[in-house]
Amino acid sequence: MASTRDTFQVPKRYNSLAIALMAIGIIAIIALYITTHGSGGTPAEKHQSDARFWASLLQNSVYFLLVCNAVIFFIAATTLAWGGWQMSFRRVSEAITVCVPVVGTICGVILLTILFSSNHIIYHWSDNNVVANDAALDWKSGFLNKGFFATWTVFTIVAWSLVGWKLRSLSRSTDAGKLTVEEGKRYMWTNTVWAAIYIVIFALTVMSSIPWFWLMSIDAHWYSTMYSWYTFASSFVAGIALITLFVIYLKNTGYLEFTTKEHLHDLGKFQFAFSIFWTYLWFAQLMLIWYANIPEETVYFKPRYFGAYSPIFWMVFMINFVAPILIYMSRDSKRNYATLTFMSMLILFGHWLDFYQMVFPGSVSPDHVPTILYDFGVGIGFVGVILFVTARALTKAPMIAKNHPLIKESLIHHT
Amino acid sequence: MSLLRYESQVRPPLVEGNKDYHQVTEDICRPVEAKPSKLWWIGFLISVAFLCFGIFSVCMEVTYGVGQWNLNKTTGWGWDITNFVWWVGIGHAGTLISAILLLFRQGWRTGVNRAAEAMTIFAVMCAGQFPIWHMGRVWDAFFVLPYANTRGPLWVNFNSPLLWDVFAISTYFTVSLLFWYSGLLPDLATLRDRAKLKWRKMFYGIASFGWTGSTKHWQRHEALSLVLAGLSTPLVLSVHTIVSFDFATSVVPGWHTTIFPPYFVAGAIFSGFAMVQTLLVVTRRVLGLEEYITIEHIDVMNKVIVLTGSIVGIAYLTELFIAWYSHVPYEWFAFKENRVNLNSPYGWSYYLMMGCNVLSPQIFWFRKMRRNLLLTFFMSILVNIGMWFERFVIIVTSVYRDYLPSSWSTYYRPTIWEVGFYLGTFGLFFTCYFLFSKFFPVIAVAEIKHILKRSGENYKSKMDVVEKETFDDFAHEHAHDHGA
Amino acid sequence: MPVKKFVVGNFDDEAVLFPAVKKVRRAGYKIHDVFTPFPIHGLDKELGLRDTSLHVAGFIYGITGTATAVGFITWALTLDWALNFGGKPYFSLPAWIPITFELTVLFASVGMVLTFCWLCQLAPFVKKDHFNPRSTDDTFVMALECTAKTNEQDAINFLNSVGAKDVSVQYRETGWWLGRYDKDNMKFEKRELAH
Repeated sequence: MASTRDTFQVPKRYNSLAIALMAIGIIAIIALYITTHGSGGTPAEKHQSDARFWASLLQNSVYFLLVCNAVIFFIAATTLAWGGWQMSFRRVSEAITVCVPVVGTICGVILLTILFSSNHIIYHWSDNNVVANDAALDWKSGFLNKGFFATWTVFTIVAWSLVGWKLRSLSRSTDAGKLTVEEGKRYMWTNTVWAAIYIVIFALTVMSSIPWFWLMSIDAHWYSTMYSWYTFASSFVAGIALITLFVIYLKNTGYLEFTTKEHLHDLGKFQFAFSIFWTYLWFAQLMLIWYANIPEETVYFKPRYFGAYSPIFWMVFMINFVAPILIYMSRDSKRNYATLTFMSMLILFGHWLDFYQMVFPGSVSPDHVPTILYDFGVGIGFVGVILFVTARALTKAPMIAKNHPLIKESLIHHT
Repeated sequence: MSLLRYESQVRPPLVEGNKDYHQVTEDICRPVEAKPSKLWWIGFLISVAFLCFGIFSVCMEVTYGVGQWNLNKTTGWGWDITNFVWWVGIGHAGTLISAILLLFRQGWRTGVNRAAEAMTIFAVMCAGQFPIWHMGRVWDAFFVLPYANTRGPLWVNFNSPLLWDVFAISTYFTVSLLFWYSGLLPDLATLRDRAKLKWRKMFYGIASFGWTGSTKHWQRHEALSLVLAGLSTPLVLSVHTIVSFDFATSVVPGWHTTIFPPYFVAGAIFSGFAMVQTLLVVTRRVLGLEEYITIEHIDVMNKVIVLTGSIVGIAYLTELFIAWYSHVPYEWFAFKENRVNLNSPYGWSYYLMMGCNVLSPQIFWFRKMRRNLLLTFFMSILVNIGMWFERFVIIVTSVYRDYLPSSWSTYYRPTIWEVGFYLGTFGLFFTCYFLFSKFFPVIAVAEIKHILKRSGENYKSKMDVVEKETFDDFAHEHAHDHGA
Repeated sequence: MPVKKFVVGNFDDEAVLFPAVKKVRRAGYKIHDVFTPFPIHGLDKELGLRDTSLHVAGFIYGITGTATAVGFITWALTLDWALNFGGKPYFSLPAWIPITFELTVLFASVGMVLTFCWLCQLAPFVKKDHFNPRSTDDTFVMALECTAKTNEQDAINFLNSVGAKDVSVQYRETGWWLGRYDKDNMKFEKRELAH
């Protein structure tokens, strides 16, 4: 059994599903384009509908890029911590990270188009006329300027992709043959060095500057020091959920015979723990701004906490906190494929919704929520891309890194 | 479930030397059963002397009022609250090591967790002193409790972060104590059953609660430890979070920033690990426990220090950046003029903080440095000096210049009684630690035995055959539930 | 609690203990308990013990703590003596989350530890009988309870055959009593009775 199941063969149904999802995404984008660009109206209305189109692309591409990138973070973190338990499905995580350059390219094109398009629909600070009449934006132009944004965005996406590729190729390098203990130690050392390099890049991008540029600058007057760490927490939970879904799918199709409930249990624990961590940051940011009640800061939460976006805002809280804490509390639910599948999908959706309420009030309108179905369709398209790319990547290498020094620990792992 | 006690030989052993279960007991119990050394007495008496000076300083403050301290109209919080936050921060490492690292399955925690937990409890005891004695009329301290009182049905302000602190610190102290002591029970029973002297039999008999090691009891004990670890993990985050709320809920420039909660927690882990290093580098040497607290343990903890130091660094820079980015003149003034400006009265403390906390730990990127004991000891002290100044910077540089320049205070410097109080808490801390290291096993005996056959040097070297097996043979033999 | 008669075997390796437990149980002997110096995963299952529900108790205590905090603060600040703090509504839930959380953890932890001590009969001055003082050091001690049907010599031989060392017959008190470990080992009138 093991020999035929060593590498992944993409089933026909899987392939058609991925293509169908991508098709839905493209249809959604076209439909969105037609509905937002067909009608006339005042220039202000035109701006708003234009923004609505681009905001959808921005939200979806940034969200799915950060989620895939969070998987590289998972790999880097477990490498640095010498985590043996996750080795049995490590190749699955690696396959997901192949999406980073693909989704990253899409995302980069979208971001730069928004940035350099003539009518400055989302990033108001990129319009020189606006900046000239706005003391605050003028003050910030040392940071919020097109050159810096574009350079840093390109650098970031390239850097993530390259280090992700390096970590993958290090993993592949063990396929050649069994390592002695000494070789294993040297291998772990190189691996650790590259994981550390990734963490440094991660700290300079995801943990600080990138969410400021891509997301926080939509509400260019508003600021919160927590913002980047919060964005990280959101994408990391979703990243773990994505890994879980792939692992369960592959188990159900007969692959990954050495990944057991013990490993899934741990993935469930990760989702549980980091859902609580996300809630912690969510609460701290909200409560501090609520408590101090400074108008410059509360303006951000007004449409979300009370206004048009409050149903979404509280639904995000229910999905991302209440559901995981109630359902994942029990041991059995973390060992049950059905619960895990359901919860992982729910969490992926919940954090997608979280990004939705981060992007749309500032970029489109704080007063009304657009028809979310279009954006959901676009999101489905990105899911299709991830399914497609990950499956391709999985076929390229054996499903298990049989010679990794820690693989045996993973085999006898139990919680 | 496989019964195989295997761990990759790529990992360094956690227990060195040729050990069996009995040898582990002997090694760890020996210092407890020996007569205290001269060195111990000297250290203990010095600590008690410091403690006495601290008590005297507090007596001065209580007798003559808070005016004995140099606090003034704008600098209402000075050394006292700085010291409070500093000690609370140090009191985070123990529970973190025991709880979070237990959940993350970091095997190396077993060597250091017991001492770290004890240190946590003592640090929280020290921390608690500051807000209590800062009240001035300390005989009214019970006013912070929500009890049915005679002043009409007037309750404490549950909306106040200072009251949250009361709940957070007392809960944290209680839970840490329970966690530590429930873990100690089996080891105290070991000491009891080995005791030769009458008083030892009595003392450890009472202290071990009649523990027998029954399988059912162990089963419950495991469940208890796991749930307490699960509860302590968010608890330990919540404590420094709530301490950070003391500042961040306000509208004081330099205090009101949303990153404070996670950044305080990272800083607490940072300083807590540094204190663990300070104590263990010495303890392992004096008590001859180098085979249990190995260089590997020191190495890993130094990695945690460089990691958390860098997280703190990112937070400092984020804070500074957003102060500028926010375009709020007060916020930016507090950072630019009161902190970054080296010529301002307290500018030097900002650079001291940056140097000690962000720059100096970067040396631990190098493996050689992480394994240098002298450097580790020196760095661990430096880090805690830096962390003290972090709190000092946050507290004093934010308040010494009020919104009204007319109330900009004169230079705040502590009196001898403020310093004495601080030194006194050192006395308390080390008195407790000396007693602990004399009367309790500083390493968790039962937990070391639990990992011995997997991570002990002599057992690992016997695993050559398993290590050399190919993946398929190994999987065939040991992965019982494949496909499940 | 009565004094009972036991056949006690000592093991020095858990790898021997595990199959021994299986064989002893299959042979129909009643295992009173196995005393180990550290927790051995899976031994409870091997002995046929049911899972502990201590964590369920902890959950209930935790919920009690949550309810106490939210209930009490709501009552105190909205009904009993409502005060305006900084223009915030009387019912300021975000500000109560910290205390609610702390009380949840406090109730759960204290409740669980007390329950644990109660279930395992652990407290200062509690004393219990020991089969072998080395069971807190390096020896795994298995105690078979002698029932009316048990043939002592057979049991001893059987334990020897599965790898036990120093097998002996002992009379032991199974319960606990208040006492000190530096005093005599057992209420001696009970010992007399047993003989």
